[in-house]
Amino acid sequence: MMEQKELSVRRSIPFKEQMHILKRIMTFGKPYKKQFAVAIFFSVALAISTAALPRIIQLFIDNHLTTGDLSLSIILTFAGLHFGVTLIRLTVWYLELYLFNMASEKTVQNIRNQLFEKLHTLGMRFFDQTSTGWLITRVTNDTEAMKDFWNVFLNIMQGVFGVVISLGAMFLLDVTVTLWILIFAPVLLIVIRIYQVYSSKTYSEMKSKLSLLNTKLAETINGISIIQQFRQEKRLQKEFEETNQSYFDSRFSMTKINALLLSPVINLLYTLSVVVILTIFGLEALTGPVEVGIIYAFTTYANNFFRPLTRLMDSMSLFQDGIVSSSRILTVMDNEQYAPAQLDKEDAHIEEGKIEFKNVSFSYDGKNNVLKNISFTVNPGETIALVGHTGSGKSSIINVLMRFYDFDEGEVLIDGRSIKEFPMRELRQRTGLVLQDSFLFYGTIKDNIRLLNESITDREIIEAARFVQADKFIEELPGQYDAKVVERGASFSSGQKQLISFASTIVRDPKILILDEATANIDTETEALIQEGLQRMRKGRTTVAIAHRLSTIRDADQILVLDNGHIIERGTHDELIDSGGQYKDMYELQNLGLQTQ
Amino acid sequence: MDIFKRLGWFFKQEKKSYLLGVAGLMIVAVLQLIPPRIIGIVVDEIETDVLTEQSLLQWMLILTSTAVLQYILRYMWRVNIWGNAAKLEQIVRKQLYDHFTNMDNTFFQKYRAGDLMAHATNDLRGLRMVAGGGVLTMADAISVGLTTLLAMLFVVDWRLTLIAVIPLPFLALTSRILGQRLHLRFRDAQAAFSQLNDKVQESIQGIKVMKTFGQEKEDVEKFENQTDNVVLKNKAVYKIDSLFDPAITLIMGLSYVLTIIVGGYLIMGDEISIGDFVTFINYIGMLVWPMFAIGRLFNIIERGSASYDRIENLLREDSAINERQGAIDEPISGTLSFDIEAFSYPDDEMVALHHVSFNIEQGQTLGIVGKTGAGKTSIMKLLLREYDNYKGTIRYGGYDIKDYTLDALLKQIGYVPQDNYLFSTTIRENIRFADPTLSQEAVEAAAKLADIHDDIMELPEGYDTEVGERGVSLSGGQKQRISIARAILINPELMILDDSLSAVDAKTEESILSGLKEIREGQTTIIAAHRISSVMHAEEIIVIEKGTIIERGTHSELLAHGGWYEDMYNQQQLERKLEGEDY
Repeated sequence: MMEQKELSVRRSIPFKEQMHILKRIMTFGKPYKKQFAVAIFFSVALAISTAALPRIIQLFIDNHLTTGDLSLSIILTFAGLHFGVTLIRLTVWYLELYLFNMASEKTVQNIRNQLFEKLHTLGMRFFDQTSTGWLITRVTNDTEAMKDFWNVFLNIMQGVFGVVISLGAMFLLDVTVTLWILIFAPVLLIVIRIYQVYSSKTYSEMKSKLSLLNTKLAETINGISIIQQFRQEKRLQKEFEETNQSYFDSRFSMTKINALLLSPVINLLYTLSVVVILTIFGLEALTGPVEVGIIYAFTTYANNFFRPLTRLMDSMSLFQDGIVSSSRILTVMDNEQYAPAQLDKEDAHIEEGKIEFKNVSFSYDGKNNVLKNISFTVNPGETIALVGHTGSGKSSIINVLMRFYDFDEGEVLIDGRSIKEFPMRELRQRTGLVLQDSFLFYGTIKDNIRLLNESITDREIIEAARFVQADKFIEELPGQYDAKVVERGASFSSGQKQLISFASTIVRDPKILILDEATANIDTETEALIQEGLQRMRKGRTTVAIAHRLSTIRDADQILVLDNGHIIERGTHDELIDSGGQYKDMYELQNLGLQTQ
Repeated sequence: MDIFKRLGWFFKQEKKSYLLGVAGLMIVAVLQLIPPRIIGIVVDEIETDVLTEQSLLQWMLILTSTAVLQYILRYMWRVNIWGNAAKLEQIVRKQLYDHFTNMDNTFFQKYRAGDLMAHATNDLRGLRMVAGGGVLTMADAISVGLTTLLAMLFVVDWRLTLIAVIPLPFLALTSRILGQRLHLRFRDAQAAFSQLNDKVQESIQGIKVMKTFGQEKEDVEKFENQTDNVVLKNKAVYKIDSLFDPAITLIMGLSYVLTIIVGGYLIMGDEISIGDFVTFINYIGMLVWPMFAIGRLFNIIERGSASYDRIENLLREDSAINERQGAIDEPISGTLSFDIEAFSYPDDEMVALHHVSFNIEQGQTLGIVGKTGAGKTSIMKLLLREYDNYKGTIRYGGYDIKDYTLDALLKQIGYVPQDNYLFSTTIRENIRFADPTLSQEAVEAAAKLADIHDDIMELPEGYDTEVGERGVSLSGGQKQRISIARAILINPELMILDDSLSAVDAKTEESILSGLKEIREGQTTIIAAHRISSVMHAEEIIVIEKGTIIERGTHSELLAHGGWYEDMYNQQQLERKLEGEDY
């Protein structure tokens, strides 16, 4: 969906930049340069064998047919020769196509793998700022478009070799006539240029209209109940038909441009070149002898010269697409919003789970601090609760603690060592974050609890599920722990999803637990299980909890009230109520609100 | 070939341009024969020394004029035939779109969004291929093939022709067989690609989870397995795909060999001239395309007719929701009486609703509470005539809602659904979705009532901010409030809030509800909610469980009654006392 927006505002990339992009994207094909080289070799061989065929017939005509020096064995020799070259030709052709396609396929795979790997090195800052749809399109469709892009080169290669070798063959036969044929070269270049100018504009217009059309269609299907409820069918039908019509219009202009400037014009030029060839040879024949086989050979070479051009011109719009796709892929590759770098001290292990923030300041944009001079200590096994409005800095503390973002000032220590010293894997695996909305992956329940960590045994999975009391509903499923989880876990209630994600956290036995509590409505029965699961998980673990439901954190060892990036109050629930600050105010306001209703 | 008959309506409709196109094609087919013949004649005239300046000039003039004529005709048939193909696509696309907008819920449950999209893109392409490529191939293959063959037979030599064309039918056969194989392998490759797609989608959407568990390396490995699979499947495709051109070469090569042998033999016996031979070799080359095209034609037709089958199947689906003949066009008003004996969703044995009845006087409010899945939304769906297959009646102002026109009913209902679907356009257009001609003032008034105006003003472009995939992402509560504004704007006789305040805090809820009460004096409202506070002021509250009403009354009656409602109320009150709501 992102695509058509970009296409519609697509600026034309200057030539120099295009070449630069091309050069860079080509480096992904480097590991396969041998295959490409062999494919190119076969491409040359193909062009040569193609040029050899008319030559054989020309020799047959001029040396035997016209002279009458003909016998069955001569005929069979030439037939055999012709067929032999044909066999060579089809073999090299097959190899050329197959090898080239495979090499470009592998290049695409290489781009994909590197792009995907790159994504995993990027920090949350990048993912928070980038639409997922946009990103998915980069990894799948843009890389897929690369195949067409490489194909353009195959076409160009075949075209250029075809043209050059046909010309070479003509030169060998007759220099004067070949020079005459060359007068078509500037004409051709002009046609190609005109075609390029007109087609590229219309083509991109057509493409962006098509995606607009499909976006509208998709939106209508997804939003159908709203449309029908508001009785907007007629209006949207009309709007759709307008887009449909305008797509047709640009498709039709594209057809016209192609009909005007593509194969019909190439055909015209070819026939005119035959006129030139025949005229010259004819005039020569008036004054002296002419070998007629050469006329045949020349007309065939002229055909070989012009024929590949249609395909070459046709693929030029794909070249533009390829450049656009490449530049988008490179944008992601060049992104430097890396995940925060760690010092990776081998001996850094999280044993106790003591957390200290010392005068930590942090901003997302480098200007406005969202955390200002935050200090607190959580002793091993204790629970700290963070309370505050949306935007007060609760989530930012978690972002800092999980190293999703790098902080700017101050120190964050775990077990007395800077958080930067721990290898990322150690940090992440010893810290269990339970997210607000649980995300389930396609696969089985087991896969979702194990989450790619193959060292976790089935028994551990079952124990973890039992521990958070997810076992009851899981065991009722068909297939139990092997039950299928469809995309995003759509068949489970949000409470059940939460329990599964608890299990996947607890199976890793983290020392530190970070809870970003769900605000969504969860049915009452599961809610009780969740609350109990949370209590159980917190036992023996250092816990940092963002609380929306104060009932779950009333027993916290410490509550921090955040406002605008500052800690404005701290203490236990009772202390905060006693001290009569904002915490108490808010608390009372709520109660008051309830009474008046 | 059946597909051509089935598309007959279109060919008839575009008769003129198809005739022009096909006529153009045929004339080109004949004109194409001239250059090789002229080459042959000139060769012969040179060979026999009869060429004169005048005859050369004459031949060249003919050649030049056929070239120009060909150019004009080629342009003509291309524009006509390809233009028609695009037109067919446009027409059928419109049919599909209009059809989709008129379909009921059952239809959209039966066909998933992705499938419908695939029909509207891939199948349309298949159809366009028939109307363009199919017609072209058929007309061209027949006219070029036939005229060339005739020219070879009668202008050159019939014996040579009969022998030289022996290998050519294999060309048609080969292109047909390879095409079929390729299609199957291509499908596998597509499937592998779409698996890869799913993987990427999941990894990116679940990136935070991935990071949280520190399993990036394993995820990359898993991804690489997928790309390996894609390469493997495409390898199978290329093995076949790369065979097309070489196979043509082989078969043509055989024809050339036969031509050289037989042609040489005939020249030896002075049966044909060298010019004939040259002409003939050029003609052979011209037969490649028609023969190859015939094979391709089968594939185009096969796929096109499968596509058209699927499209026609979709178009054949009927909506169960229809307006009765002479339905009441007067907008609904008055008392709403809902009296359902039983209702189940189509193709579902479970009873969704049974014995649910209530009356709402004009201007009153009904509250519906109950657990998720108890049946609250089902009630709304029946009111909105999303399903008609229930036992019982729903009356508005004394008339069955099925007796009203859909306009009379639905235009008077402002429904705010649970899932807040917004369109990828500006916030303004989303709010005035029901009527894009409404003024900014009206939009703002509705937004203010829904308590979303301030939020909108804080966005970078205010009401012009784009939402959805391409624009800013809004919170669930913001989306809910925009949906509410969208419903408020039509000033509906009946407003339905279907758990639409779940993501806003208590204070905002209170202000929205009291605002609504004020402007909706004399109009009817139904509020379904999880939170008791949303419905406590209603004239009547019903508690739904397992598809039926288990308790009913006013707030105080229900509290006095002491049941599910009271339990829920106490529990929620306790919760609210303990927690700071969502401050």
